[in-house]
Amino acid sequence: MLQHIVPASGLLFTLQNILWINIGVFIGAVFAAIPGLTVILCVILFLPVTYSMSAIPGMMFLLGIYCAGGYGGSVSAILINTPGTPHAAATMLDGHPLSKMGRTKAALKIALYASTFGGIFSALALLFLGPQVAKLAAQLGTAECFMVCVFGLTIIAGVSGKSMVRGIIAACLGLLISCIGSDPMTSYDRFTFGINRLYLGLDLAVCLIGLFALVEIVSRAEQKPGELHMDTAKMHDNGVITKDEYKRLARPTILGSLIGVMVGIIPGTGASEASWFSYSQAKNMSRHKEEFGKGSVEGIAAAESANNAVTGATLIPLLTLGIPGDGTVAIMLSALMINGLNPGLSLFTTQGDIMYAIMLGLILVNLFMLIQGKLLTPIFAKVVSIPQEILTPIIVIFCFAGAYSVNKNYFDVGVALVFCVLAWVLRKLDMPPVPILLGLVLGKMTETNFRRALLISDGSPKIFFSSVYCWIFIGLIVLAVGTILRGKLKDRKAAAAKEET
Amino acid sequence: MKKRRICLCLAVVMAFCLMTGTVGLAAGETWTVTCPWAPDGVASLVSQKAASLSTEYSEDITLVAEAIKGDAATVNTWVLDNEADDPSLVFVGEGLLSITATMDPAKMQFGYEDFEFVENLYSSVFVLSADAKLEIENVEDLQAYVAEADQITVATNGATGSEAFLAAALFGSMDAGDALKLVPYQSAAEAAQAVTRGETDFAVSHQSQILEAYNQEGVTVVCAFDEGPIENGPFAGVEGVGEYGYPFFRNRCFIMARAGTDEAKVAELKALYDEILADEEVVDWLHDTMLLEVDTMEVEDVEDHVANVKDIVEQYIDIVQPE
Repeated sequence: MLQHIVPASGLLFTLQNILWINIGVFIGAVFAAIPGLTVILCVILFLPVTYSMSAIPGMMFLLGIYCAGGYGGSVSAILINTPGTPHAAATMLDGHPLSKMGRTKAALKIALYASTFGGIFSALALLFLGPQVAKLAAQLGTAECFMVCVFGLTIIAGVSGKSMVRGIIAACLGLLISCIGSDPMTSYDRFTFGINRLYLGLDLAVCLIGLFALVEIVSRAEQKPGELHMDTAKMHDNGVITKDEYKRLARPTILGSLIGVMVGIIPGTGASEASWFSYSQAKNMSRHKEEFGKGSVEGIAAAESANNAVTGATLIPLLTLGIPGDGTVAIMLSALMINGLNPGLSLFTTQGDIMYAIMLGLILVNLFMLIQGKLLTPIFAKVVSIPQEILTPIIVIFCFAGAYSVNKNYFDVGVALVFCVLAWVLRKLDMPPVPILLGLVLGKMTETNFRRALLISDGSPKIFFSSVYCWIFIGLIVLAVGTILRGKLKDRKAAAAKEET
Repeated sequence: MKKRRICLCLAVVMAFCLMTGTVGLAAGETWTVTCPWAPDGVASLVSQKAASLSTEYSEDITLVAEAIKGDAATVNTWVLDNEADDPSLVFVGEGLLSITATMDPAKMQFGYEDFEFVENLYSSVFVLSADAKLEIENVEDLQAYVAEADQITVATNGATGSEAFLAAALFGSMDAGDALKLVPYQSAAEAAQAVTRGETDFAVSHQSQILEAYNQEGVTVVCAFDEGPIENGPFAGVEGVGEYGYPFFRNRCFIMARAGTDEAKVAELKALYDEILADEEVVDWLHDTMLLEVDTMEVEDVEDHVANVKDIVEQYIDIVQPE
């Protein structure tokens, strides 16, 4: 490795690369901050720009978009209670309440610092442990992936709000909706009602727009004019994060980074799963559980560090095995291939300098994201002071434009509207929307891996207990369920004691 | 108030640009080339490359590549939105024209007659790889293995794609259709990994998709789904199943204009693609990076290919999708 570091640094530290990193970071942060405009869409749009570049500046530009997109999604989640990208949904749970408490800048800064830490952590994991970790990840088969999904489903308990039953019902609804489209194991259509477009399934970004963004607008329409205006003049938002808060941030940030790396290396998973896993675990381990969902600094840090820690981790299977860790990285593979580079371990021997330049570049990208983020935070924070009569139509326009741009089809705009109606009805029934999102995120993956595992084992459930990795995940599931039950019992006892006094 | 208006106008303009896709259009006669598959797929990548070279080879035509995943749904929309002589091209392959057309024709609101063939973008030979522990190196080893096996598991990309039908055709024609179990994965990369870790016995994939697993000695490459042996590249010498009389087809990507488009314009587009595909740099890039071949075709060749794949689909549909 060391013999490549010096020449790789020479290739990386050029004015051209620094410039492209910064352009990428800026585009990624702004693009992802707009609801519906996902990171993957941004990378697709700007991919042709890289075709005229050589491999390193091309990859630096795309990595800039990718990493800053991870952070950018949190901006709208914090400011307007609408995640800019699906993986920022967990950030929204605490980011927006903290913003409403008059601490918008602090919330944005926590998201930025946690994102940077997660990004650099995963870049270092890629640099030092890449090939070893990739070989381990390659051993995780269908049964292990199913266990990861089951572990993910335990998060529902943590995001169900007051009633776990309602949360489970909402999650089941999400799982049911995720079944729409062609059956992954047979290709037969399911729940398509003769609508051709539905056999592709529903795009998560489109559902998100309806579930969170549009319904937020509808609920604002229900409020009285006086309730709509936030008196920003009275807020002294200096963006200060106290020493005590910094101390509290350390644990969830490190935990989130670890979870992000572990989730990111498993192909097929992504930043959404990582941020939910991390959020749930941080909540379970926190001494301030009661603050989660009400503006917890730990909640923001856990979600943001995890979703940015995925960025470097998804590159591990890509660069070492040629397997893209997620959809965005799969697009980035094109930027390498157009330059004649076919990723894999052999490329470390033949083009080691370029590979190490890309890996080192990821650290640089995160550092520039931090610098740009610090400069942009005061500007982003001003969004909350825009009057609602101006902000609301802008959000609506971007929501529709975002839904359309996912597949360049008006059908998706209709889907977003349907989800808006669904979310509004559920809101009236006091059902939490987040478990629906979780069901949507994990549904197809859970079902596919479950059915494929049973197909491989001729229907025998023994396959789920067949490897040491399966048992590790079973242990984690038991631990998660145990922690949840313990928490619920504690809450019940505390409530009973309160009633007595 | 002025600031508010500026904000609102800016938002409207940006949203309009996004919805109409007017950002970044090139000057001159621009032909949009729609790839109905994933933007990270081989077809999209080659299309982007061809588009980036179009201005070098033509002063009159600029190709603009776009990828809108959706398969038949995207092509349905394209057919509805475009008329003869519209400056728009679309990709179709045997997956749509032969497989979907046979298995699920209701999904397609178009037929071969709705298109005017321009050129074939590339040709790719699928290969059958085996778990290295099975020590199957060639077709003879495979025949011996099949004769003994009670069950044969094959990883494929999707449940009813080209890879599934090639596996069904090969093992079906070896009279092992009943023993065959197709295990569908979400992507070709996942299928390749499955055979490497021994989750399945075999996998059918493009050559480039199994290359890394082969380099790591996790798999052996048993045979190619082609008439003769692979001639060059890392799998040179691997036998073609055609040598043994087993059915096969290659993966091809046809560039189509809307039916009724002016013949002279179609010929001009074909000539442009032929020039781009004859470029030595493109030929080498296709082969070295993705193990693809340049394989320019005529209308008759396309019709033969579509008919051949259709025959295979009709013959082996019961194995791929049992009642």
